[in-house]
Amino acid sequence: MELRHTARPYGFALLALAAAGLLSVLVGSVTLSISDLLEGLRSLGSGVESTAGTILFSLRLPRTILIAMVGAALAGSGTAYQGLFRNPLADPYLIGVASGAGLGAVAAMSIKWSYTTLGLLAVPLAAFASGLITVAIVYALARVGHALPASNLILSGVAVSSFATALTSFLMLRASGELRRALAWLLGGATMSGWQPVLALLPYWLVGLGILMTFGHALNVLQFGDDQAQQLGLPVNRVRRWIIVAASLTTAAAVSFAGIIGFVGLIIPHILRLLIGPDYRRLLPLSLIGGAALLLGADVLARVLLAPQELPVGIVTALAGAPFFLWVLRRSRQANYWS
Amino acid sequence: MKRFSQLLLVLALLATVLAACTSGAQSPTAGPITLTDGLGREVTLAAPAQRIVSMAPSNTEILFAVSAGDQLVGRDEFSNFPEAAAAVQSIGGSMGDYNFEQIVSLKPDLVLAAEINTPEQVKALEDLGLTVYYLENPADIQGMFANLEIVGQLTGHTAAVTALVDSLRQRVTGVEAKVANVDTRPKVFYELDGTDAAKPWTAGSGTFIDQLITMAGGENVAASLDGAWGQISQEALLVANPEIILLGDAAYGTTAEQVSARAGWEAIQAVQTGQIVPFNDDTVSRPGPRLVDALEELVRILHPDLK
Repeated sequence: MELRHTARPYGFALLALAAAGLLSVLVGSVTLSISDLLEGLRSLGSGVESTAGTILFSLRLPRTILIAMVGAALAGSGTAYQGLFRNPLADPYLIGVASGAGLGAVAAMSIKWSYTTLGLLAVPLAAFASGLITVAIVYALARVGHALPASNLILSGVAVSSFATALTSFLMLRASGELRRALAWLLGGATMSGWQPVLALLPYWLVGLGILMTFGHALNVLQFGDDQAQQLGLPVNRVRRWIIVAASLTTAAAVSFAGIIGFVGLIIPHILRLLIGPDYRRLLPLSLIGGAALLLGADVLARVLLAPQELPVGIVTALAGAPFFLWVLRRSRQANYWS
Repeated sequence: MKRFSQLLLVLALLATVLAACTSGAQSPTAGPITLTDGLGREVTLAAPAQRIVSMAPSNTEILFAVSAGDQLVGRDEFSNFPEAAAAVQSIGGSMGDYNFEQIVSLKPDLVLAAEINTPEQVKALEDLGLTVYYLENPADIQGMFANLEIVGQLTGHTAAVTALVDSLRQRVTGVEAKVANVDTRPKVFYELDGTDAAKPWTAGSGTFIDQLITMAGGENVAASLDGAWGQISQEALLVANPEIILLGDAAYGTTAEQVSARAGWEAIQAVQTGQIVPFNDDTVSRPGPRLVDALEELVRILHPDLK
């Protein structure tokens, strides 16, 4: 009975992920029939190129996997940050990683790069580096001796983010030729196709989320407040440092290849907390599955709503995610579930 | 006399050889076509492309102009000229995202990209096994002619392009000859977007808008703008006091009446004399053959007395 109770949410979440993943592979602007799919599968075995095969294995499958990884990364980091900062408004972008990455990306776009491997990776590399540097600046500004007060982090995060966002807007207006590209990037979506982004993201994703997953218990203890947690034997500052490093790595890598996708990292932890309660040992792993499923669903919508046009997925996550979240919130019977 | 006939013979031989050479260069080449594109990539086509996807409205206009419209199987969402382009399958692109699935399923033998496409998009298309040619934006009208010739080669319409470029060149020369004698150069303000009337968007030097206004015998009041595109302050505009205002945003509903009604604009000469003229922005913002149409239209507006 106990086991069934703990296992059930995982079953549901995995089912949702499988359904969203299947939809993402099957649904696209080009309709593939069952025989097309079989032809595509055969072409993989025989090595003969077919249109269906190319669409399936060079476009849809890598995109599906990338989007699922990004959704998991954002939701996992968001859950960890909400626990770390004990703040219901915390999301993975709270301490500046996204605004920093945006600045790096737009700066890289305003330069004309040569058509080489390095030049083609300039935008994600600049976004990644600039996201991490921004977090490092926020971190340095927030530190007081050996302590790292959460409110200092949030406030310096907000200030540094505004600064980076203003610089980004300035660059966008200056290099107005790249305005559309910059805007599309900032609104989020898979900007590169193929397997390269998946492979580039994988190591950061594994390491970052791997570290985050080990902090479930620590986050539970941290909910009693810093002083209480310290008295209970939790090295609060060390925990905070590790979570920030892991979440920043994961989020910066995800944002580099998928742009700034909002809302996923904010609502998935809330939805899960409403459904299964506040235990971070379950919230963290479930948020990965839930985030992946939600973002895949949003991406499918982004592809079909205006087909053959594709919407930036960030618009869909906010447009569809906000009402969905409000619905979950209204349905929950707890008057104030957070405190 | 004998020497003269010998000379004739040599000349005749020379002429035949020359004719053979030129006709050889003009007939559609049977062998592979190799050209270096705007990203410095070497692009090779086994034969002139027969199934082409255009990634930009300027490319679509060029393709139709060089008589390759029939070979077009896909075009971006913004391609609205000529009318025949509407019948071609759209491959998206209005939000910067192209529909790669649709492009692949069209099985193109050439994807004609432009500067509005990113190098990453070119790489992604290349990785899908497609042949991509990146057509760089021309710096001036001569560069636009060179682009026409490139597209002619890629599509096997070299003869049609030669005729087209000849006629376009003649029209440009005609304009230059007409404008050479003008003694006044009216000051022109080209409005790209006047939603914010206190600092409307306009075009500075380095744009075709600026070049064509100068070629048509006018003076762009925003020529000294820092950067190619920018917002000019209304104060600077009042000081510059343009004699003609061209409404590039007429397609978005901006009218001369609206401009006249804007607060503070009544001090501008063009507003006082009613010289506020709607202008087809597509002809100047797309680096294609319609630049010459735009040039002639500008001359008609700037120097209506020139015949």
